[in-house]
Amino acid sequence: MAAKSVGGQAPAAWLAIAGLLLVVAVPFAAVVMQGIFPELGQGSFANPFSSFVTTLNDGALIGMAGNTILLGCCVVLASAVVAVPLGVFRALYRVPGAALFDVLLLVPFMIPPYIATLGWIMTLQPRGYLQQLLGFNLASFLFSLAGMTMVMAFNTFPVVYFAVSRTVEAVGARYADVGRVFGATPARAFWRITLPLSAPGLAASLMLVFAAAIEEYGTPAALGRRAGFQVLVTGIDLRISDWPIDLPGASIMSLLLVGLSLLTFLGQRWILSRRSYQTVNGKPTAKDKRPLGVMKWPVLAAFIIVSFLATGVPLLSILATAMSRTISGGLALDNMSFDNFLSVFQNSAGALGALANSFSLGIGTALITGLIGVTAAYTVVKTKIRGRLAIDSLTIIPNALPGIVVAVGLILAWNMPWLPATPYNTPFILLLAYCCILLPQTMRYSTAAFQQIGDNLEAAARVFGASGITAFRRILLPLVFPSLASAMLLVFALASRELVASVVIAPVGMQTIATFIWRQFEQGSIGLGMAMAFIAILITTLLPLLLLALLRRSGLVAE
Amino acid sequence: MTIDSLKSNVAVSAAGLELHYGATPVLKGIDVALGQGKTLALLGPSGCGKTTLLRLVAGLLAPSKGSVSIAGQVVADAASGTFAPPEKRNLGMVFQDYALWPHMTVGGNVSFPLEMRGISRAEREKRTMHALERVGLSAYASRRPSDLSGGQQQRVAIARAIVAEPQLILFDEPLSNLDRELRENMVGELAELIASLGLTAIYVTHDHSEALTLADQVAVMRGGLIEQLATPDELVAQPSTPEVADFLRLGGIADLERRDACWVFRGGDVALMRADEARADNSRILIPVAAITPGDIQPDRLAATVLRSQFRGDGHLATVSLIGADQVELQVLSRHKLKPGDGVGLSIDFDQIRWFEKPFHSHP
Amino acid sequence: MFKSLKSITLGAVAAVLMAGVAHADITVYTAGPQSLIDKMSEGFTKETGIKVNVFQATTGKVMARIEAEASNPVVDVLISASWDTASDFEKRGWLVKYSSPNAAKVPDFLKSDYAVAQGISALGIAWNTKSGTPKPSDWADLTKPEYKDMVNIPDPAQSGSSFELTAALAGQDDFKLFKDLQANGAIIAGANAEALNPVLQGAKAAVFGAVDYITLAAAKKGESVEVVFPASGTVIAPRPAMILNWSKNQDEAKKFIDYMLSDAGQKMVAAQMLMPARSDVAADRPLISDLKLLKFDNAAVYGKRKETLGEITKIFGGK
Repeated sequence: MAAKSVGGQAPAAWLAIAGLLLVVAVPFAAVVMQGIFPELGQGSFANPFSSFVTTLNDGALIGMAGNTILLGCCVVLASAVVAVPLGVFRALYRVPGAALFDVLLLVPFMIPPYIATLGWIMTLQPRGYLQQLLGFNLASFLFSLAGMTMVMAFNTFPVVYFAVSRTVEAVGARYADVGRVFGATPARAFWRITLPLSAPGLAASLMLVFAAAIEEYGTPAALGRRAGFQVLVTGIDLRISDWPIDLPGASIMSLLLVGLSLLTFLGQRWILSRRSYQTVNGKPTAKDKRPLGVMKWPVLAAFIIVSFLATGVPLLSILATAMSRTISGGLALDNMSFDNFLSVFQNSAGALGALANSFSLGIGTALITGLIGVTAAYTVVKTKIRGRLAIDSLTIIPNALPGIVVAVGLILAWNMPWLPATPYNTPFILLLAYCCILLPQTMRYSTAAFQQIGDNLEAAARVFGASGITAFRRILLPLVFPSLASAMLLVFALASRELVASVVIAPVGMQTIATFIWRQFEQGSIGLGMAMAFIAILITTLLPLLLLALLRRSGLVAE
Repeated sequence: MTIDSLKSNVAVSAAGLELHYGATPVLKGIDVALGQGKTLALLGPSGCGKTTLLRLVAGLLAPSKGSVSIAGQVVADAASGTFAPPEKRNLGMVFQDYALWPHMTVGGNVSFPLEMRGISRAEREKRTMHALERVGLSAYASRRPSDLSGGQQQRVAIARAIVAEPQLILFDEPLSNLDRELRENMVGELAELIASLGLTAIYVTHDHSEALTLADQVAVMRGGLIEQLATPDELVAQPSTPEVADFLRLGGIADLERRDACWVFRGGDVALMRADEARADNSRILIPVAAITPGDIQPDRLAATVLRSQFRGDGHLATVSLIGADQVELQVLSRHKLKPGDGVGLSIDFDQIRWFEKPFHSHP
Repeated sequence: MFKSLKSITLGAVAAVLMAGVAHADITVYTAGPQSLIDKMSEGFTKETGIKVNVFQATTGKVMARIEAEASNPVVDVLISASWDTASDFEKRGWLVKYSSPNAAKVPDFLKSDYAVAQGISALGIAWNTKSGTPKPSDWADLTKPEYKDMVNIPDPAQSGSSFELTAALAGQDDFKLFKDLQANGAIIAGANAEALNPVLQGAKAAVFGAVDYITLAAAKKGESVEVVFPASGTVIAPRPAMILNWSKNQDEAKKFIDYMLSDAGQKMVAAQMLMPARSDVAADRPLISDLKLLKFDNAAVYGKRKETLGEITKIFGGK
């Protein structure tokens, strides 16, 4: 018999298991079943595995899988090239205005990738904003693998930037100085000590970028198709949106994509578990950092250029489009107006309803993923009960599930005729989809937070008379709250802009921000769509910052 | 003493206690009982199972076999499945890493056990301040634990453990994170506190001097078993095994072989003394530090070489190896400093030698 | 704190729930413009008291939803952007036979026993008037050097009407026109709006086979864009409305079709710059009678769909 630990985690574990089954296991199982049984939609288990042969024999599949991996690698490479030098300089040197650049480099997270892509198209295509301002265009660059790589890298490189600057900062201060005591020059200390020690953190963040890149839909759809570049996600979309629809084929391609993501994710976990030097309290102050000296201006220029390209160009392009009376009018003063913004506030095409829907769903998703994430992370990290491996595996799956796969799975699962009640065709189905897609965020942050809390803090509470639930509420929850709160804010921002799943499973008569924007684009009202996008970006960026500031002031969240 | 009165006096007891992690046994059968108002020290090297035993008493682990009783109540019994969670056991505990909650003030930490017992706010404040006064930290109630030094944090942890006057206090290597001087002061303070409050306590440590100073009963543990359970005096006078003697650093251990009419150090040709008939041919002995007097090398003394030497409060404690039987290492207390490599003559008081029951290779 | 968390969650979710599922009597899936269906269901509810639940998306997404829901369908009325859907569903036996009294003035070729057109769009050349290129008058004009690299073609794989145009034109000269277009730098660029947007900004001069009502609506808003209906002829795309046989609200669904074909309903169609299905309702745009239509055999064209799309893919490369 395995050694039992103290009781009292059972409620947390049961809550986590129930939540994970509902949110993760159900849609995932549905996709697998659909892949195996092509006639599942008609409620039949006939001809198992028959669509494997046709789908896997499709020669285009290998091309798409190859393109997916190629694109992922290119984005990883480009992100590293942009982010690593900036991160290292940010960590080791006194960069003027560093805090401001941190904020500016965070904004790309808040710009939905499909909007950023459209912003780039409006800027770089012939007679785009670049040509209107400077007289030349970069269309041939944009509509190519290189262009796609650039747009996607500018969207994802902040992951690497922040990972590198944090680890190098901690490692640099702790160990590199020791190296210097034993005679290493600063450069040698960097190459021999700081870089090897930071490598696992860097590798893990690059794998995160890879996973995000192979799941991305908007950019390859908008740029890749013109370059004749199909990836798995656009292939899945085509099978779903091209009549006749091939759900079994889409399911099988989804499983292929899931496999790729899973490999990446397992690789990342392997690297981190094998040698992770992520130091917990390494928070050196500015005085530990070296001045830049002669490098000051080049480094500053690099920060400004990257911030401008990653944040400035998409935002300005979105704003310019939103303010144009007509697209063909171009960047002329008499073509500028706030009409599109007014239209949004006058609830044109249900704009305000879409905003309210998305924000309610965002709040609901943040709370539910917060609850499941924190209980699951607690069960995995802090207990030894038997189901915990199952919980851990269940929380891995969503990392590998692209939004479109989740959506297909949810439809398949919740539209069975024999179900007495179903969330399908109600807003709950969107809530389920968002929770599944975004669960890894709260899970990741809470797991890290729990790992930093000594086991004895909880044991002490129990010994001094607190029940399991009281100890969780009074001791553990307050300690992980700062991490949990930031994860939930991120979830809120991501949920309120989610596109792919929303388009496929939004209940009849319900719009979200993303489906509203997408619909405006589809119907040619680009300006209105961009106005909505701008408002949404503004709100999803400012609201969390405001909340964080409030929490900080009330002392709930430490700096 | 009748059985009943014995039972009512027992504050905590364990019977046939075992714990396995998968197939790995951590505790292999522990029987121990502690009277009301007494202190039990669990002493042993790391990995011997002493902290595990403490966590079983605390209810932070559940036994695979056997039972634990506190104040006559069975709190855990693997056979019947009885298990009272820690919060139902009315305990106080001091953790090795202090385990002060970083998001609460010092006062908040100390008053937590009272809060959990549903004591009114006014009463809580009074008793919290009283407990903090006892450890000399009443001025720090509104500070955060992270603002305090290691020693101060340790005192807060102690205040938190005693504030609710629990029926049993558990100490899990509470002083191991402090430097030596602080540790020695704290041992004295703790002893005074335990005596003045009449506490019943279990004290886990790997430091024999802490154990012998604080405890009424010492359980020396090794490999998941209690090797010897005795009062400190008995332990020093009559260690039951060579391992206990070695762990308590009572002196040097040596193996003897009977050769002709003499006891000769095994693996060498140095004779210690004349053999008597009463003992087996192979014997293991303890030569206590106090049994050896160092001097110059003379024919009637054993010749030895100094390996290393360390200053203790009452002289230089040197470890020496016998010339001609250099695997035998003995401890010698000298008033003069001995340097590594020096020769030294040892005269031994044979009466103080302790003979162990079993021959060598005694322990599995 | 947990309690309050839970109550907030439930509250937020409940709020969304109440907003989304005001209990509806019929469910309409439409591939038409959102503003048209919004206005039409509003008018319908006002007149009959029957509420309408709407799902609006591209034809492909609407189809995906219906197929995914096949085991438990909820749609009562479907308005597709391609007549092919109506033929296909009729063959599968999924449709309810219905002739609306208001359909009397709908020409015969825009109705069958099972479906009737809501409105009609036509394909044309969407041309940016400020592009500095001469105004094209026929499809073949776009192969001229003036339009080098300046032409977008909507993806025939993603749009039913584009496919019909492609098939009809390709049938006339065995893909020569498309080979010439490709040689002149024309590209295939996504669905309809995706192909039009670059023309609005001026990145491209013209869309070869743009859906007319989107372009006409853009021109009405002040965009410098114009629709040219080529002299050699074009295709039209009637948008069939049909009642599904699994509908539990067939009487209400029939009332919806009636309303769609009423004067009020058809005026809404005209206001979207679509051609009304009824020949007696006026519209401020060219009507079918003003257009020359390409002749092709619908059944034969759809029978060779895969081959035609394959040939186009071969010509324009990629995928």
